[in-house]
Amino acid sequence: MSDELVQIETPFAFNEENQREFDELIGRYPIKEAAMLPTLHLAQRQEGYITPAVMKYVAEQLEVTVMKVKDVVTFYPMFFEEPVGEYVIRVCHTLPCALRDCKVVLEHLKAKLDTDIASETNLAKGTTDDGKFTLMKVECLASCDVAPVIMINDDLYKNLTPEKVDEILDNL
Amino acid sequence: MVEERRILYEHLDVPDINTFDVFRQYDGYKRFEKAIAEYQPEDIAKMVMDSGLKGRGGAGFSTGLKWSFVPRDIKPCYLCCNADESEPGTFSNRYVLEKNPHLLIEGILICCYAMGIETTYVYIRGEFTLGKKMLDAAIKEAYEKGYLGKDVRGTGLNIDIYTHPGAGAYICGEETGLIESLEGKRGQPRNKPPFPAVEGVFSKPTVVQNVETLCNLPFIVGNGVEWYTKMGPTYADTRNDPPTPDPNTGTKLYCISGDVNEPGVYELDLGLTCSELIEVAGGLRGEEVKAVIPGGSSAPILTHYELDTRLDFTSLTLAKSMLGSGGIIVMNETRNIVDCLLNIMKFYAHESCGQCTPCRWGTPWVRDIVQRIADGDGRQDTITRPKFGVTESGRWGDTGETEEIYEDLDLLESVANNIANVDTMTWNTICVFGIAVSWPAVSYMRKFRPEFEAAIREGKLVTLPVAEATVPPEENYAYQQRFIPKEFADL
Repeated sequence: MSDELVQIETPFAFNEENQREFDELIGRYPIKEAAMLPTLHLAQRQEGYITPAVMKYVAEQLEVTVMKVKDVVTFYPMFFEEPVGEYVIRVCHTLPCALRDCKVVLEHLKAKLDTDIASETNLAKGTTDDGKFTLMKVECLASCDVAPVIMINDDLYKNLTPEKVDEILDNL
Repeated sequence: MVEERRILYEHLDVPDINTFDVFRQYDGYKRFEKAIAEYQPEDIAKMVMDSGLKGRGGAGFSTGLKWSFVPRDIKPCYLCCNADESEPGTFSNRYVLEKNPHLLIEGILICCYAMGIETTYVYIRGEFTLGKKMLDAAIKEAYEKGYLGKDVRGTGLNIDIYTHPGAGAYICGEETGLIESLEGKRGQPRNKPPFPAVEGVFSKPTVVQNVETLCNLPFIVGNGVEWYTKMGPTYADTRNDPPTPDPNTGTKLYCISGDVNEPGVYELDLGLTCSELIEVAGGLRGEEVKAVIPGGSSAPILTHYELDTRLDFTSLTLAKSMLGSGGIIVMNETRNIVDCLLNIMKFYAHESCGQCTPCRWGTPWVRDIVQRIADGDGRQDTITRPKFGVTESGRWGDTGETEEIYEDLDLLESVANNIANVDTMTWNTICVFGIAVSWPAVSYMRKFRPEFEAAIREGKLVTLPVAEATVPPEENYAYQQRFIPKEFADL
């Protein structure tokens, strides 16, 4: 992905607070490239998802090629290359949660939000029409003792039943 | 009934233990102060070696031995704390990070002192937002109190700890994958050697330790090696002549989930049996145990015939399984093993990093075969071929009889064994992810073959009663090379 091939309409830059955090981050590592993951997290928090402009900006800041940033972004499931809803709902469906009926929770969420489940290459599929929620399945969230669990943005919700899910969504 | 012995988790539920002042009241940082006041760095390394502490992350490699590989004359040397807890069924590190982060910092300080390390990176999985927040706050407090930073407590040591968030990739829990990810690249594991102890992060010697391993250090230093080695069994390693002691000392944070009444983390001495652990966890939810996964989803499954297996590193290795990260998943009689395997294979097909061809292609193939069987489209054509089994001479080989086989089950075993061969323990991939795929695939299929055959025959998932779902050990190759280790003291 060379710069000529991608049209960047509005360039991206960190806001003041994030710039401060970034300056602190970069001092932690002997090479700048190592700050890639925390920097991308920071950018995604500001922008909502990783746009080509973000990749270009991060590449300049870390003194690597844009391709290298793209390389990393595509590898990790937590970075989004498409817009996502205001609330990202991650439903764990690995074995311990499956043994505790995570399917019921997932089906309930699907019906309630009236949406499909997002896939990694098609996030729009799992995003509600009003852009409020994105529903996705994820692998083990390391909370198997309180299964089934879901994560909404940064918060974990435990021991779920359809009734509890209703309550949580109403309180958002 | 076996009693819990809480050491790492002793003060976990004390209110505000995550703050420096409360942690300090419970001997916090006093073990580190003892270490720098009474011992030289070499003494600490020797204590860890003598304690027999084995890495709690999965491989169960001796921590003291790992430290001894680190060259002392190459500086800087780094410590990477592995808090990328993503093995299905494991959740003990989360509680340490969220509730008692100062304990981890104290463990890191002791390790840094022993190894002459100045910089530590704690690689926390991206989903642990609360854990990262708590640890960051604790690190900040430790800097303010002078336990981190330049010239720690006037000793001339400089120690820094930084947290580094992951971004949802399972493979970054593998030590070289973690290092690559820490360097800002895709988390694809490296070839070994060189081992991280010689050439790790930023091409410098690196010690990679799990959270739980590091949390053991304050107690080894504080209470002494003798106190520590009294917990857990010491077996005899009979591969050596005369046999050498093989310690499985200390406690383990057993994470138990699935069909038990009180799932959770239980801290117990290593070496209790599977059925004892189920009893500790409030007993089984259901009528009968059908299967137990002893060490996270990568571990080969145990059947109800094997519930007397002791849950420690040596016993499980000799039982052809592994303790791994200590994530125990229990399944009762209502569970269908084909369905469980399908769930796990979907996980591995999703998490393969795509670096090595056998794994990149093999994992989706295995998933597709199991999916086909679960959907009722399993290939039914049975072929007749020579039957392998225990021959008259008592060895494994061609019995001279013929048998009918199910094509898809053979295909499943063949594909899995070409990612990593579970019989010879060789893998065609760079990292051990390969074996983590083949182990469950092959062991579920061999041990619960009647259930797989029924699914193919009937064209739908059939949950057989426990007694019929598995082949008894005396007729099953999967159990052939199991051993029970002898205690060193009994020799």
